[in-house]
Amino acid sequence: MIEFRDVHKWFGELHVLKGINLKVDPAEVLVVCGPSGSGKSTLIRCINRLEPIQKGALIVDTMKVHESKTNMTRLRAEIGFVFQQFNLYPHMTALQNVTLAPMKVRKTAKKEAEDQGRYVLEKVGLGDKLHQYPAQLSGGQQQRVAIARGLCMRPKIMLFDEPTSALDPEMINEVLEVMRNLAREGMTMIVVTHEMGFAREVAHRVAFMDFGELMEIAPPREFFAHPKSERTKLFLSKILTH
Amino acid sequence: MGRLNGRPIVYMSSAMLETFNFRVIFEYLPLFWSCFLATLWLSAAGLLGSLLVGTLACGLRISRFKLLAWIAGVYIESIRSTPLLVQLFFFYFGLPSLGFRMSESATGILALTLNSGAYMAEIVRAGIQSISHGQVEAAVSSGLNYLQRMRHIILPQAIGVTLPPLLGQAIVLVKDSALLSLISLSELTRAGQIMTSERFMPAEGFLTSALFYLIIYYILKGLTHWSQKRLIYMQT
Repeated sequence: MIEFRDVHKWFGELHVLKGINLKVDPAEVLVVCGPSGSGKSTLIRCINRLEPIQKGALIVDTMKVHESKTNMTRLRAEIGFVFQQFNLYPHMTALQNVTLAPMKVRKTAKKEAEDQGRYVLEKVGLGDKLHQYPAQLSGGQQQRVAIARGLCMRPKIMLFDEPTSALDPEMINEVLEVMRNLAREGMTMIVVTHEMGFAREVAHRVAFMDFGELMEIAPPREFFAHPKSERTKLFLSKILTH
Repeated sequence: MGRLNGRPIVYMSSAMLETFNFRVIFEYLPLFWSCFLATLWLSAAGLLGSLLVGTLACGLRISRFKLLAWIAGVYIESIRSTPLLVQLFFFYFGLPSLGFRMSESATGILALTLNSGAYMAEIVRAGIQSISHGQVEAAVSSGLNYLQRMRHIILPQAIGVTLPPLLGQAIVLVKDSALLSLISLSELTRAGQIMTSERFMPAEGFLTSALFYLIIYYILKGLTHWSQKRLIYMQT
């Protein structure tokens, strides 16, 4: 589904991805963790070319993201992206937020888009908030609208960039619950997060990134019980005891 | 004249009221009305011009082409750092001496346009830059192209955010148009001056001018209020 082959990325002089090799299968849930600045956000932002890569090959759903002639608009419609800061459109209601792209990109009829929008918002537990503006919703509710916005495009892949980091602690679980259900339904997901409980329970594999390299990648049981590299051990000891 | 609106007048000295000549004001109302219309159209022309100049200058200022951005920057800075009166006198006395001749009203509109345009440019720039880059990324991620992003995400919000300060600038522009009386344009302030010099009634004359400005101010303020109410959803 997603394949990185020796992918390199520079921001000016800064080498942020140093030869990433990674394969994600359909219906797999991969959790990526690592200290801030390790390149994990950049890693998933490359997948829909929010960040272009400079070297290597990146193939998503048989499309070559590394080639500049690839039609990214078509590919992006197949990939849902959830941001740390939600990034909802503040001048639109929840329902308008989730129906805009289906109507404009997929050319779905308004009625059909709204029916689907209602259904998906209901599924993330916001059936009673259809006509609220983002400013009228709590952080957890906003993030669930953002997930619904991605789902309304019926994507093949969902990418999450620290979806719970900007939330108050009591709201984290409602968002994780939606993501758990999504994983159960067989969505291909890459989740950048520090929620190790979620990783243990939901992920098929957990990856650890540091200094722009994938240091370690393993099923959660193995990853948490027997981390191989010293840096993974150190990182886990820091975030699991706090 | 013992009662006004059914309440006895106790605060105002009756001597002042007796000397205040309402009859002359009525006599001069036709003049004030035509000058009021002149102020309206000079301001409207200046407003329209400054919106165009301001949007253009803003577009240049944030463009990638360094030279264009620099030119727009010089224009905006030099207008904002000098008095409108000096700019007006330069266009009125200075340009003809360099060989450019224009009518008084064209000079007046040019001065208002270029002056207000510099402020408009900064307002529009603030509006566009107030839209978080994250929203644009979200729109890109869901496959919306550049025109769709402009049409559905950026412009509706930029217009919404800039409307109240733009109307504020419009109020400033109307008041600044009073300076056009100095280049002998028959507008509201000039009407007050005419009444003063013909009848020597400066209190009546300038108070009447002020009342007409007040009418324009309240119309624009009403619009500002209305535009702000439409923005309530933006407040977090």
